[in-house]
Amino acid sequence: MAKQLVKRDRLPLPVRIINTALLIFVVVLMGLPMLNVLAVSFSTQAKSDTPGLVLWPSPATVQGYTFIWNHVRFAVPFFNTIYVSIVGTVLHVLMASLAGYVLSQPQLPGRKTLTTFILLTMTIPYELTMIGIYAVNRDLHLTNTYAGLIINGMISGFSVLLMRNYFMGIPRSLAESARIDGAGEIRIFRSISLRLSISALMTIGTLELIRRWNNITMTVTLISDMKKWTLPVVLRYILFDQTTTSGTSYIFANAKMAAVVLTAVPLVVLYFFTQSFFSTGIMIGSIKE
Amino acid sequence: MNTTRQRRLKKFRVFYLMFLPVAAYFIIFTYYPFLKGLIMSFQENRLLGVRPFCGLENYRFVIKEPNFLASVKNSLIIGLWDMGLYFGFSLVLALILNEVANRMVKQSIQTIAYLPYLFSWAVIGGVWALIFDLQGLANKFLSLFSVEPIFFLATPSLARPLIIAMGVWRSMGYFALLFTVAIMTIDQQLFEAARIDGAGRFTQITHIIIPSLTGTMKTIVVLLSIGVLTHFDEIYVMVNPANRRMIGTLLLYVYETGILNFKTGTASAGATLVMIGTVAITGLIRKFTGYDEE
Repeated sequence: MAKQLVKRDRLPLPVRIINTALLIFVVVLMGLPMLNVLAVSFSTQAKSDTPGLVLWPSPATVQGYTFIWNHVRFAVPFFNTIYVSIVGTVLHVLMASLAGYVLSQPQLPGRKTLTTFILLTMTIPYELTMIGIYAVNRDLHLTNTYAGLIINGMISGFSVLLMRNYFMGIPRSLAESARIDGAGEIRIFRSISLRLSISALMTIGTLELIRRWNNITMTVTLISDMKKWTLPVVLRYILFDQTTTSGTSYIFANAKMAAVVLTAVPLVVLYFFTQSFFSTGIMIGSIKE
Repeated sequence: MNTTRQRRLKKFRVFYLMFLPVAAYFIIFTYYPFLKGLIMSFQENRLLGVRPFCGLENYRFVIKEPNFLASVKNSLIIGLWDMGLYFGFSLVLALILNEVANRMVKQSIQTIAYLPYLFSWAVIGGVWALIFDLQGLANKFLSLFSVEPIFFLATPSLARPLIIAMGVWRSMGYFALLFTVAIMTIDQQLFEAARIDGAGRFTQITHIIIPSLTGTMKTIVVLLSIGVLTHFDEIYVMVNPANRRMIGTLLLYVYETGILNFKTGTASAGATLVMIGTVAITGLIRKFTGYDEE
């Protein structure tokens, strides 16, 4: 409100011109490559092989898309990645809210120890325990399985603490009166705490869904069987490796860019549907632990 | 005494049960692999069966390995440049974006700049492959100045600048957003007071906005410092025989040695050294920025 009351000063004109020029430069720098990818993906094979400054496909065609979808069988990793990401995210949200709820109980004996137990996991970066994780998963027969991809990363310290903080903000009196009315702890968790935390659940769910959809490190650590690769790893292969394998036909630039667009578009859709939760996630991400 | 204690524990039993799966997950999939990796770094290279201990042999080997040493250098160059440029570019972007009066325009530019951060590194790799193709946008642009087409992605001397630029292109908008959020929380009365004192907009930026961003700057620098030695995804996507020498980072070394070539001992020793390096770098940055004071 205060913002609207205060009239803002403006920079002197020459500085304003430089400012605008810089912003136009940023828009071109960010927008042009994305537009280029989109345009080439809708171009014909012949046109797409000399991409240059194509910003509008003429004639427009979905050849690239049908080729990558049917001929290269892009649909297989596409749906597999949807499956792995969604199941993994649902479990992630469930586990994070369970742990967060436990840690938000003020009188729980040993609460401090349990919180430290969670905090410490955040200091161990996944990338650096890659070999250990591979060895453990191999011993448990989880390598080359989707179960392995789903289980690893099923919970994170970040999500647990986020849920804990959110639960702690819910008035205690609600749970107390439910307890007096004879509700059990599970019931209170389900019908009070979870129901009042939809926005927090959406926040960690969205962040986790993006993380899983884009994950490369985990896939290449656990999955050596090409048939089970997830979308980004398949995309990399289509973009850079297909020339080295014999047997597959040449993939033209329009089909390659169609694969890029297909990998990116679900996230853009998700972003526009969940934009309000994003700002929460970003805000939380920037808060000093 | 004992009975009240028991009653209390009984009352909270359901919470401990709820915590059990979470604790089990972290023990099996976080703490145990971490310990296992540490132990493997003192054992001979062997994936199956009993691994005999070999003391510091793996460490002695790895610090003399030319590939490892090259990846240390690559990691430091790429990591530090990325850290500096992510920080600088996003700060400038947030500041110039803040001067846009029209909210719609501001929001649109912000969204365009933020969008690539949503995408997987493989998608960004696809964008790069197209733009820097022999007939791509970059070469089309250079031909205006009659520069011969350059095969960007296979030119070793351009490998590092390209991978660093790729990171900046993807992440600039995200970090700018963190700064923007911080700018929005500045008390508007400060600007009012500055105006009464006769300070122009430029003085307001240097004397109000930038000083009040110190906390956010520290947080972002510390956040970035954790990632200096752990670049992997973008390298995995972009690496090819021509540029490997220039952009093969530490984690690519660990991945290829341990998981593709089964030299688990060597790879674990490498990973442990990366961990020590990361702790050292973050420690230095924390001290340097005074992050822990306050």
